[in-house]
Amino acid sequence: MIVKKRSVSNAVMAILVVVLAGCYPQGPEYVEDLDVVLTNFEDEYDFGSKSTYALPDRIVKITGDVAEGDDPQFIPDATADLILARIEENLTALGWEKVDINNNPDVLVTPAAWETTTILYYYDYWYWWYGGYYPWWGYYPYYATSYSTGTLLMRMIDPDVVGANGNPVVQWAGAVNGILTYAYDATRVNTAIDRAFDQSPYLKTN
Amino acid sequence: MKKIFLLLFVIVSIPAFSQHLTSLQYSMGFGTGDLGDFIGKPSFRGFTLDYRKLVQPNVGVGIDAGWNVFYSEKGYDVYTIENLSYSGKQYRYNNQIPVLFAVDYYMNYDEAVTPFAGLGLGTMYSRRNTDMGQYTLEEEAWHFAIRPELGILYDMNEGVSFSVTGKYYYGFEAGDLPSQGYFALNFGFVFKR
Repeated sequence: MIVKKRSVSNAVMAILVVVLAGCYPQGPEYVEDLDVVLTNFEDEYDFGSKSTYALPDRIVKITGDVAEGDDPQFIPDATADLILARIEENLTALGWEKVDINNNPDVLVTPAAWETTTILYYYDYWYWWYGGYYPWWGYYPYYATSYSTGTLLMRMIDPDVVGANGNPVVQWAGAVNGILTYAYDATRVNTAIDRAFDQSPYLKTN
Repeated sequence: MKKIFLLLFVIVSIPAFSQHLTSLQYSMGFGTGDLGDFIGKPSFRGFTLDYRKLVQPNVGVGIDAGWNVFYSEKGYDVYTIENLSYSGKQYRYNNQIPVLFAVDYYMNYDEAVTPFAGLGLGTMYSRRNTDMGQYTLEEEAWHFAIRPELGILYDMNEGVSFSVTGKYYYGFEAGDLPSQGYFALNFGFVFKR
């Protein structure tokens, strides 16, 4: 009789334990759920009084290993063209006029991009303990996975406003960050660029 | 997390003796105050694990432990602090783990239906995560906590009762967080040995 009661009790508890263990909230489901946009601006700068900007026709790829005197690397032209066109669309909508770098623009818009890869590496760490006793089990069992994130940084500088260190002050910066997938997803990138400008209404010119 | 549940399973499976009550309950949580403002949705993920020893025919003393996780997924939004705006989808988690000393008073303990009331004092660990993109803002606190409780036991057979309890946990301001409170509605089983 006692054994039976315990059996029922333990079965009830076992069911509860299994049910509860499987229900921790999982969070994001899709890569675009992790896309974020960060913008920042100098509040003393009068964006409304400016109207012209210059934009390069290539986007620098920041790799972190360029030595002084080396030429920078660039992201592929096909991708850069799509990104630059979207930036231009947004600036036009805010009232800005694109001019050549030689035509004394009020501000320069300087896009750059970089990629970061995170490798998650696992191995069955307890192998050090039993491996010596069972050498026929082979090498350390391990497995690895990785993900890459991409960041597009858009900066707006006024060549006439120089900071204490002699470099131009960044008046506005927009950073777009997300998980990279194998194919360029124009919808995701365009949406993120649009958001950077949507959340910066102070960029509108008079 | 699964290992913790298995450990708890082992603990509650240890044979006990007469006048000992061990209960395991499924718990739903309803945040109030700051917790309710942070996550408006109720928590349907939680459990409580309680133990009481009857020191008098109608009085049990022991320990309460539990866990509730509150979760909400916010749609795309822009969050602005001074000149900085950060936009994206936000995922909010609030884990509450109370561990309390408790005293219960049972009305007509020997009857099939036993209402009871109790009070708990102890600590409550709160961990709040605000996730955006690949980043999380983590805030933690160990609160001094108080917990009134009302409940009812219904004897299913000798040694096992079905239980329904309502508890209100209130943790005073501590660590990174202001005071945290939530109602918990619990259903489960009490094993009397």
